[in-house]
Parts: sequence; C-alpha cells; structure tokens
Amino acid sequence: MKTAACKPGPGRILPHLRLCALLPLLTLAGCGAEYRVFHPAGPVANAEFHFTILNTAVMMVIIIPTTILTIVFALRYRKSQNAAYDPSFSHSLVLELLMWGVPLVIVIILTFCTYASVFDVNPADPLALDNPNDSAAMAAPLDVDVITTDWQWIFIYPSEHIATIDDLVVPQGRTVRLRLSSATVTNDFYIPQVAPMIDVMPGMVTRDAFRVNRVSEYEGFSADFSGAGFSWMQFSTRIVSPADFSAWVTKTQGAPDHLDYAKFLQIAQPTINETAAPHYFSNADPNLFAEVDMAVMGGKVFPVPADLDAKAPYPSPTLGKQDEVKSGT
Amino acid sequence: MFVQLQGAWSPLFGRLTLDSIPYSNPIIIFAAAFSAVAGLAIVIPVLYYKKLGYIFREWICSVDHKKIGVMYIILGLVMLFRGFVDGMMIRTQQVMADGPNSPGVLEAQHGYIPPSHFDQIYSSHGTLMIIFAATPLLTGLGNIVVPLQIGARDMAFPRMNAISLWLTVMGAMLVMASLFIGDFSDAGWVGLTPLTELPYSPSVGVDYWMWAIQISSIGTTLNAINIITTIIGMRAPGMRWDRLPIFTWTTLSTSIIGLTAFPILGVALALLGADRYLGTHFYTAGMGGNLMLYTDLFWIWGHPEVYFLVLPAFGVLSEVIPTFSEKPLFGYITMVGATFAIAGVSWAVWLHHFFTMGAGPMVNTFFSVATMIVGVPTGVKVFNWILTMYRGRITYATPMLWSVGALLLLLVGGLTGVMLANPAINYTVHNSVFVIAHFHCMVLLIAFTIFAAVIYWFPKVFGFKLDEHNGKRFFWTFCIGTTVVFTAMFALGFEGETRRLDYLYDTDWMPMLITEEIGIGFYCLSVFYFFRMLYVSIRDREKNRCGADPWGTARTLEWLTHSPVPFYNFAVTPQVHELDELAWRRANNCEHVMPETYDPIHMPKNSMVPIIIGVLTFGFGFGMVWRIWWMAGFSLLAIIAAVIISSFTPDPGYTISAEEMRKMEQRKEPPGIVEDSHVPRPLVEERLV
Repeated sequence: MKTAACKPGPGRILPHLRLCALLPLLTLAGCGAEYRVFHPAGPVANAEFHFTILNTAVMMVIIIPTTILTIVFALRYRKSQNAAYDPSFSHSLVLELLMWGVPLVIVIILTFCTYASVFDVNPADPLALDNPNDSAAMAAPLDVDVITTDWQWIFIYPSEHIATIDDLVVPQGRTVRLRLSSATVTNDFYIPQVAPMIDVMPGMVTRDAFRVNRVSEYEGFSADFSGAGFSWMQFSTRIVSPADFSAWVTKTQGAPDHLDYAKFLQIAQPTINETAAPHYFSNADPNLFAEVDMAVMGGKVFPVPADLDAKAPYPSPTLGKQDEVKSGT
Repeated sequence: MFVQLQGAWSPLFGRLTLDSIPYSNPIIIFAAAFSAVAGLAIVIPVLYYKKLGYIFREWICSVDHKKIGVMYIILGLVMLFRGFVDGMMIRTQQVMADGPNSPGVLEAQHGYIPPSHFDQIYSSHGTLMIIFAATPLLTGLGNIVVPLQIGARDMAFPRMNAISLWLTVMGAMLVMASLFIGDFSDAGWVGLTPLTELPYSPSVGVDYWMWAIQISSIGTTLNAINIITTIIGMRAPGMRWDRLPIFTWTTLSTSIIGLTAFPILGVALALLGADRYLGTHFYTAGMGGNLMLYTDLFWIWGHPEVYFLVLPAFGVLSEVIPTFSEKPLFGYITMVGATFAIAGVSWAVWLHHFFTMGAGPMVNTFFSVATMIVGVPTGVKVFNWILTMYRGRITYATPMLWSVGALLLLLVGGLTGVMLANPAINYTVHNSVFVIAHFHCMVLLIAFTIFAAVIYWFPKVFGFKLDEHNGKRFFWTFCIGTTVVFTAMFALGFEGETRRLDYLYDTDWMPMLITEEIGIGFYCLSVFYFFRMLYVSIRDREKNRCGADPWGTARTLEWLTHSPVPFYNFAVTPQVHELDELAWRRANNCEHVMPETYDPIHMPKNSMVPIIIGVLTFGFGFGMVWRIWWMAGFSLLAIIAAVIISSFTPDPGYTISAEEMRKMEQRKEPPGIVEDSHVPRPLVEERLV
C-alpha cells in the first residue's frame, strides 16, 4: 500500500486558507439537495468542493473590486454628473505595473491551489482517499470495471464474479477503484456528489476512485454526448452497509443470467434503456473488460442503424424489463 | 466505394433519394416555409424595382472591402438569427421534456423534438454561432474598418477578399441545405470522435458539417492572409506601428491566429474525411486509430479560435470606450502588449477542454496554469478600459451601453473561466451546463461588442445613424435575457445538469428551466426591437443623416472621410501625424480641411470570378456530401480551371482622373455604398465566361 509520503505532489498546503474557505460553505449548505455539487460525499468530492470555494474566494479578491470600480466609474463619470474631467490621463507607469502585477500574484496563488489540488483529486489515484488513521478506508479497495455501450452502463465486479447493468452498488467506507472503457463511443462517468468526472473512451482505459462513508443513493449518468440514447444513460449508485453489500453480492451471484463475451455482444447492440432498468448477471467473466478493450482496439464496432427511429426507444434485444434480483438495501 | 455505406447509392444521384427530403416533419416544413417567405420578401422587391442587375454588378461581383464587409455582416446576422432560433428550440424542448411524466407532442416521446432531430439542432446551433455568425461578423467588421483605419483604398488582394466571402457564404449555404435535404450532424459542433465515424453516424449529417466548416475555413484563412498583408503593406504615410489604432492591432493579432490555426482545423477535418470516405483509421477506436488525436487537433484550433473571436471584440471595446468617454485609451502600449500576450498564450491552453480525459496531474497542472495566465493580460485590458472611463465624460449612446455590458459579462466569464481552469473544479462541472453558461458569457460578450460595433460604424458606412430609442430597448431586453438565462444556467450546472440532453430525467431542475425560458422571452423581445431599430432607422434615414464624425468625439482615422464612405475611401490619402489622428486634427482645428489638389487614383475592377468559384465550391461540397462523384469532380476541376484562367488574365484595374475625383468630392453627397456607380466599374471577365 502506497502512502502519501512517497508520492509526488505537495501534500496538504495552505491548510489555514482552507479553513477560511469553509465559511461560505455555511451559505451554500443552505442550498437544497438539488445543488448536487454543493453536497459532496466522500473525501474526493469534499476536496473538490473545498478547492472550488477556495479558488472562488481568491478570485473574488480581484473580481469584486473590479466590478465595483466598473460600475462606480461608469456611473460617476457620466457627462451629466459634471465630475472631474482629465482627457490627458492616458498613461501611468505605476498603475500599469500594478495592473500586470496584481493579476500575476493572484495567478501565482491560484497556481499553488491547482498544484495542491490536482494530486488530491487525480482520478487515477486520488491522494484525498489516503487516510492512514482509518483502517477500513485503507483496506483492499473494491475493484469495479465499467464498460459503456450504446447506451447502457455495465458494471463488472471481477472478484465477486458478478455484473450489473445501470446499477452500481458499493459498500460504505470502502475505497472503490474503477477501470473504465467504452465499447462504442466516448461517454463521461459522472456522479456529481461522489467522484471526479472522467471520460470513458473506446480503446482506452481510464481510472476513477471514490469512497463514501454513509449509506446513501446518488444518480450517476453520462456527461459526454454519445448518440440518440444519451439522455437515457443514467445509473443508480447505491452506497450500502458492508453487510448489505455481502448479502447483495450473494443474491446477485444467484442471478439466472451469466455474462461472458458472447452475451456481451448481444447486450452491446444499440439499446436505449429508457427507465434505466437494472439487470443482474452471475458468473461474470472477470476478464471481460480486457476482452472488450482488446476487441475494440482490434476494430470491433457496434454500428448504429441509419434509420434509427428514436421516437420509440427499442428495448434490449435480449433482456426484458425484469429486475427480479433488485436487492434490498 | 472504399467504405461500407448504409442505404442505396447510384452513380447519378449518389446517396440522394427522394426520401432524403424530410417533408413529413412539420418543424422542418415550417422552417422551409419561413425561409421561402423570407427569400421571396427579398427577391420580389428586387425584381419589382428592377434591381437585379444592380445587386449582381454592385454587390455580388464587388471587390470593394466595405461591400464585402457588409455582406459578411448580413450573413452573420442572418445566421445569428437562425442560431438563436435553434437555441430557443433547445431551451423549449428541455423545459417541456423534464421528468419521466413529461408529455410528448409531434413525433417525440418527451417534449416536441425526438433525439435525432434535437441533436442536429444543438449541433447546428454551435456550428452556426461560432463558424457562421461570430466569425463572419468579426471578419466583416475587420474588412470594413481596417483599411479605413489605416488609410488604405482597399484590401491588398481585393478579389481574394471576395473569394473569402463567397467561400464562407457557401459553407453557410451547405448548413442551410442540410435543413431541407438530408440531415445535419448530430455529433456536436466539435465533432466528437469516434461518434463522427461512419459506424456511429451513418447518415450524411456529419459530411454536411465537415464540408461546411472545411470550405468556410479556407475562406477565413485567405482573409487572414489578406488582412495581415493589408496592415503591413498599405498603411497611409505617417501611420507608424506606434500610431496604429487598437482595433487594427487586434485584427492583426487575430489574423495571425487565423492564419496559423485554421489550417490545423483543415487537416483535422481532412483526416476525418479520409476515415469516412476512404476507410482509413485516423480517429477510430480500433485498428491503430486514436480519438485523442482528433480531440487534440480540434482544440489546438478550437482554443485559438476562441481568441480569434474575442481579440477583435476587445479591439471594438478599445475603440468605443474612448470615443464615448472623450478620452484617449488608457495604456496604449500595455493594451497592444496584452493583445499579443493573449494571442501567444492561446496556443498553450487547448488541453483545458478535456481535463477529464485522464491526463496525469502534471500535464493538467501545466495547462491549468497556462489557462490562468491568460487571465493576466485580460485583466490588464479590463483595468485599461476602467481607467479610460476614469475622469472621462461618458455619454451613453447605444454602443457605449453594449460596451459596459460586455465589460461586466467579461468579469463573470473570466471568474468562471478561471474556476474551470482548475482541474479539481473542472472535474465537478466539466460537460455540465456550467461550462455552457461560462462560454456563453464569453461568446455573448463578443455578441455585445459586435452590436456595439455595428451600431458604432453603421453611420460611417451608410451615412445615417441607427435609431437610438429602439437601440436602447434592444440593449436592455437583450441584457435582461442574458442575465436571466445564464444565471439560471450556472445554477443548473451546480445542480448537475449535463449538456446536450434531449430528455431531462430530474424534475428538480424545473424551476431553473422555467427561469431560462422566461429569459428566452426577453431575447425574443430583443429580436423584435432589433428589427424595429432597423426599420425605423431606414424609414427616418433622411432625418438621421450625419457628417464625417457622427458621434462628435471619435478619434481614429476612419472618421476623417465622408459618411457614407465613398468607394475610394479617401479622396487623397491622408498624412498621419499622431495616434488618434482625428482627435489630433480636432485639437489643431484641421479636421475639415479639404484637399486643394486631387490626383488620379487607381481602383480594382469588379469581378465575376469570386462568385463563380463560390458556386462551384458549393457544387463540390454538395457533391462530396452526397457522394455524387461526377458533380464533385467537375466542380473541383472547374475551380482549378477558373483560378488558372483568371490568374493569367491581366486585370489592370481602372483609373479615376483627378477631374472626376474633384467632381465627386464637390457633390453635396459623395457616392455612398448603396449608390449605383456613376463611374464605370466594368466587369472584365468576358474572356473567362
């Protein structure tokens, strides 16, 4: 297990500034739950939110006075006001040095913020997740492979040998590490309250990671346009207790459908899963992610028909709307 | 055929069949009817007043930089209107299609537009607004203003200037054609690979998008060459580099960006074309292709393109604010420095468009810092404008209102831009409508300055002012619309609404969606006032006639000559003494001095070559889109032949004698832009035709 000390990056700098940044949080917390970005869950999203506030606060140092000056000057120096008029005032070395210097200083401060934050929230390996004091958090992460098709999400749990469509179930307090790739076109993995947004691209593997400490549910969806069924690419994200997770895994391991590459080829045909109805598979091939990635790199495509009648999203050619194994959380 | 196509193909008509015309779609039928009525509203008066010959001779074949500029701006405004209608349809669809129980009308399950059609609308909205509205509007302004500001008679290459125009027009015509014949791209204005590859976009939509942009980008590149040459080589005597007006400086910097960036776009699209037509694998996911290659190439053009648009907009602010503050621009040298700093850094920021593609932290940090550095020279510009207003005597004519509005928008856009430049923040809102709201603030800032510029320079070109009363109503309604729509959109971004959604699954967004729709109502009102402003101004044009300097406080060289500008710009090329030449002459009481002697002047002849090349280019584009090889091949060969023949046809131009010049100058009203020419301006291309 790697620790923060042996990784590149500045660690936690500017801790005091961060505390100041917590103040505006009080007002934002007043926003309803629909302001998803203002209600982060878990260390990565928290870090993102903190840097949002910090960055904005630093910017305000220059934006607020400039806005006030603009409005004041625009009103005060109207012709009708008979204010001081000095048409010769068109150059001032001091002022011009200041106007280059002050923004430069702000940018230097922001550069520190950026440098501090990029390692914290780096989707491939977020430092924010490292917490040596929390043994549960530092336990072996849960690996989930994510494949997008046109237009569904497939989540494969390689160690548990199960897979789901449009339903991501993970235990609370445990780090989840995702490998993501697409069978068709680019999508974007997005659960606003939980994880950094990350592109899901065919022929390439990206990574993302998160941890949530409380039992909760979030809506996840694709953020990057991928075709006619894009608007219906949601998946539920359920954070459940470890016990419930084990129960759910056991239950899913009894699902009648199995998932191997042949089955995947059927699922990956263009499908608009209109209600984001979940589906569950047992005996999922743990190497499926690599197989799909290899096939895509070898030129496998899943063509979309030209006469795609988007009016009536057609159901999956192989799956009905049964969700008999939807778990109890 | 090198590639596997879905659907039929015939040698005569390519992929084109009767089914390609979407006559069953009521929205498109309405759009077609509307376009037809609008077209007839122009054609019938032209025929009735027997002006067809005049339009053809004096406008279509014109090589006059002002007429070309005006045509660019008309094209830009028409496309802006269509882009606005697209935007309105997008907003209305989203407000109607929120939640699983939202009703559907027409052919849609939710809202009134099915996904395939909706995706075309948002793609054409982006393509039109960036490539066919903002770009031609600013190119047109540069065309009109730059030669006047530097005291030139025309552009360095007048005929090439007309070719640039007609290539841009034909690109726009291809987008319009896609509305009625076939379909437009449904893969976004950026062309998301591999979605734009044949397996995932089998119809002709992507081809329309690709060729329209390709053709118009050639026009933009040629125009950049023209502007750079004009500014370097055709300045009036005394117009040293340190006396160059700021708008000319910004147009120069922007043209350098244009010249260096647009060829990249050309290559990026050509490689996509190779994928779609020849079956290569540049951008496919498999077979060794790499979609990142396209994303990189596109944004290496795409980000400089943003500054290509915003720099002349900054130039407009730097002209308008001093004029209406009755003060010289504060910090001329810093302003020029800041302009070129922005232009230079624009090449090092493209990756911030895809922080989420998984580059490492150090790469992301580099591009994040580079992006934030852009904020420094931009901040310098803002301070310069504020200090220009400081101790000024500000009059709020409409151009000044638009400018102050643009300044405030720039502050919002700048704040959110720097937020987005930090990857940690970007990961939470990238691809959400927060990004859309941010760049609409920036693009609307450009739109604000365009309206300022059009109203500011309109009297110079046409000789009468636009109606201030309706102009102010236009401003305020537009301003309120912008505030309402984009405040709500920023909020929706924090609520996690992502872009390009045809159907919205979350009913929590409803209040903000309705707010946006209310803002759209204000925009509709502003469109009404815009047309009313035009109507009232043209009706009362005699009342609003103005002299050389209609604002009374303008500062630069272009205000020295008559309004409307005669086709030869300056009767005698002026001697430049100072930065802000007109202000200097006003201070020295020599602004109205008439020349004592006239010299014969040499002018370029009108030409049919540009429009012929333009029409042939449309033929080429249309042939390629539908894979009608004979049409594309014939057009391409004819273009090459036209270029060769016209290159070998001597075109000496024509000379106006000193006596004729004196007569024209001593008329009560010198020949304006809409006047049928009194001196013969012959078409000499009989040998070609």
